[in-house]
Amino acid sequence: MTAPTVSARPAVGDPGQARASQFAGTGTLVRFQLRRDRIRLPAWVGGLGLFVIYIGSALPQLAPTEEDLASVVPLFTQPVGRMFTGPAFGMDDPTYDRFFAAGYAPYLYLLAALMSILLVTRHTRLEEQTGRAELVRANVTGRYAGLAAALIVALITNALAVVVVTGLAIAVGFAAGGSLLVGLGTGLTGMAFAGITAVTVQLSEYSRAAAGMAGAVLGASFVVRALGDMAAVGGSTLSWVSPLGWPAQTAPYVYDRWAPLMLLVALTAVAVVLAYVLQGRRDLGASLMATRPGPAGANPSLGTPVGLAARLQRGGFLAWGTGIALLGIVDGAFTQALIDAGEDMPPALQEMFGTEGLLDGYVAFLGSFVSVVIAAYTVFAMQTFLAEEGRGRLDAVLATPVSRVASLASHTLVVAVGAVLIALVTGLLTGVAVAGVTGDWTLIGEVLGSHAGQLPAVLLVLAVCAALCGWAPRLVAPVGWALVGLVFVVQFFDDLLDLPGWLVALSPFGHLAEIPLEQFALMPFLVITALAVGIVGVGLAGIRAREINVAR
Amino acid sequence: MSYVSEAPVISVQGLIKTFGATRALDGLDLEVEPGEVHGFLGPNGAGKSTTMRVLLGLLRADGGTVRLLGGDPWEGAVRLHRRLAYVPGDVELWPNLTGGEAIDLLARLRGSLDHGRRDELCERFDLDPTKKARTYSKGNRQKVALISALTSDVDLLLLDEPTAGLDPLMEVVFQETIREAKEVGRTVLLSSHILAQVEVLADRISIIRKGQIVETGTLAGLRHMTRTTVVAQTDQAADGLARLDGVHDLSVEDGQVRFQVDGDRVSELVRAMAPLGVTSLVAHPPTLEQLLMRHYGDEAESAESEKAGVS
Repeated sequence: MTAPTVSARPAVGDPGQARASQFAGTGTLVRFQLRRDRIRLPAWVGGLGLFVIYIGSALPQLAPTEEDLASVVPLFTQPVGRMFTGPAFGMDDPTYDRFFAAGYAPYLYLLAALMSILLVTRHTRLEEQTGRAELVRANVTGRYAGLAAALIVALITNALAVVVVTGLAIAVGFAAGGSLLVGLGTGLTGMAFAGITAVTVQLSEYSRAAAGMAGAVLGASFVVRALGDMAAVGGSTLSWVSPLGWPAQTAPYVYDRWAPLMLLVALTAVAVVLAYVLQGRRDLGASLMATRPGPAGANPSLGTPVGLAARLQRGGFLAWGTGIALLGIVDGAFTQALIDAGEDMPPALQEMFGTEGLLDGYVAFLGSFVSVVIAAYTVFAMQTFLAEEGRGRLDAVLATPVSRVASLASHTLVVAVGAVLIALVTGLLTGVAVAGVTGDWTLIGEVLGSHAGQLPAVLLVLAVCAALCGWAPRLVAPVGWALVGLVFVVQFFDDLLDLPGWLVALSPFGHLAEIPLEQFALMPFLVITALAVGIVGVGLAGIRAREINVAR
Repeated sequence: MSYVSEAPVISVQGLIKTFGATRALDGLDLEVEPGEVHGFLGPNGAGKSTTMRVLLGLLRADGGTVRLLGGDPWEGAVRLHRRLAYVPGDVELWPNLTGGEAIDLLARLRGSLDHGRRDELCERFDLDPTKKARTYSKGNRQKVALISALTSDVDLLLLDEPTAGLDPLMEVVFQETIREAKEVGRTVLLSSHILAQVEVLADRISIIRKGQIVETGTLAGLRHMTRTTVVAQTDQAADGLARLDGVHDLSVEDGQVRFQVDGDRVSELVRAMAPLGVTSLVAHPPTLEQLLMRHYGDEAESAESEKAGVS
């Protein structure tokens, strides 16, 4: 929009004082930002802490003996395992803390990076985009005060994360030196991505685009590290190219290297300096990247209720669909490693995948796991419809010759088609991955079947959400997510938890044949599909009878 | 566009709408004749938007009768909406769509899209249709909704505070487009609390307060209910005018007399002033602000006496 302009420095006698005034108000802003985030930041850090406690107490239960521990080692040392976790140091002599560092600490680094990306965008670009920064900058606050305050808040939060992660890791009985390395790795990775985000928020006028760019850097770091670590145990040169590779290369509880942390510190310093330079060269609200103009007119497809629903659902569909398909492919590629590890897997894990026929059990698990995630997608997607109503945009649509029924029906239809597409494409790609690693190409059909066989249950969850959109829109989120939670627990923890029969019967997934463990059964497939269609009909009757956006 | 019958385009009698304990519309009556621009005036929270949303069939009437274009707006929403276009008071657009896409989308949903007319209106309203809606200011979002509504070939325009975010230049463009709509026979219901706008455009106005219509009629018809402010220089002392019926708040300062006169007493006043030797005379006609003041103003003394005289 606006070209970046080089700002003239004010002609003040003492240059040091002029520079200091550019930071005026930083302290106040730090307190203000901490106050605004008083729930969010403790929740993030607390979440990291809970993760440490959970892993620390779950590992001894999953693998109570040394033999059990040794038998799970292939999960991490296989190339696909390394891709997901890290370089797998010290797995020849596995201990609980080495397992923590090899398999779970990488997710602490990832979460800290995510937390910092969101934190910095929230307090810098989002403030500018909404115009709130203008209100603040009109007071005695310097050009750099907002950015400096956001980075100080990021520093405080990440420092807290170091203390919490280190402290709790030691508390659950892990070695002190390695625990400090994991803690520092978490906090410094967070700071590095706070710095990277401080740069990306200079580049775009929109907070979502800025967060997206920083997220893309994080994603690229993950992929580069994954490929580097896949190449060899202990990582390869490629692992050292990725910022996410550095905390992993400290090899906590094995070699306890401190030097890789310096790379994170250096990256943070370079990024922060770059961010300040860029910030000094641009106007408030402006960016270094020009906004792209969009189409001046609408594509003909965007002129029907279904076309509009498809356009509004497109982003969510692509994001969920890509994520679910990738999850499926990776889980599929994991099959051979699982079979190899399977013979002497601990009983707890065997129970999860089923005891008779590990391969069949895993294929059925792939289908039902992905189906539960797709059910979650439908709950998420139907809330797009409610957002349209809540934001008043549905008013404008319903003021045209589009009926209430048509508007809800088109969203339901688009989400249903999306869910079926995600299931079939994921089933096919997962099948190819399974066949690829096992060499048995007949498995493609079985994997596809395990995904398709669960579709009526997914559609039933969608139907319940559509019905609630019609009758009780406020219940869509609580009931929808509770249903997904119930289905998840019943599907995967029924045997472990010994749930009451009526609760198990509530989950539609349990009534369908688990392919390939069971033969495909047509009757439940048709009955549940018909039930889903009927429930959608009930929802359409509801929206026909109810008023729109009454709370206003 | 000519109507077969001269039945009212909008006919509302005794409309009641409650939200929980609050009674948003409390026996509202509203008649809008074919081809007229009807001003719908009232302060925020008086029930303008609620009325519009009942007329659109987004809300259901709790009591009274509502007819729109000869049909029931709740039951016949889809059929009736082919013949109307609506501009909401607080225009919300899809952040990922450009302004042009939103204009086309709404026009196509309404049934037709006239590209030439769309481009002409974008030009006149000075709107860049290639920008994403999230970059638009309130005024630009309003332009999008307005252009889309004016592009469509409809019988009725329901405009809820359509110019609240427009600058004065754009307001002139808006007034032109509404006059054009009137020329081709469209009916317009124009809600506003911007009085000057309604004054310029409306054939008749209805004033809503606390969910009821308190006044309705032509601007001229409503004027007799309020007072003209007169400032005059006279050769002879004008104190005596205070004794006339309908003259209020008379004061004299440096030979200049200032007072208010009831709208229907002007001719008597002029006769009484003629012998005084008027050297200068300024009369301010009642503004819509004053009309509203009568109904919502808490300047008790003048309002009380006037109420007794009129009703």
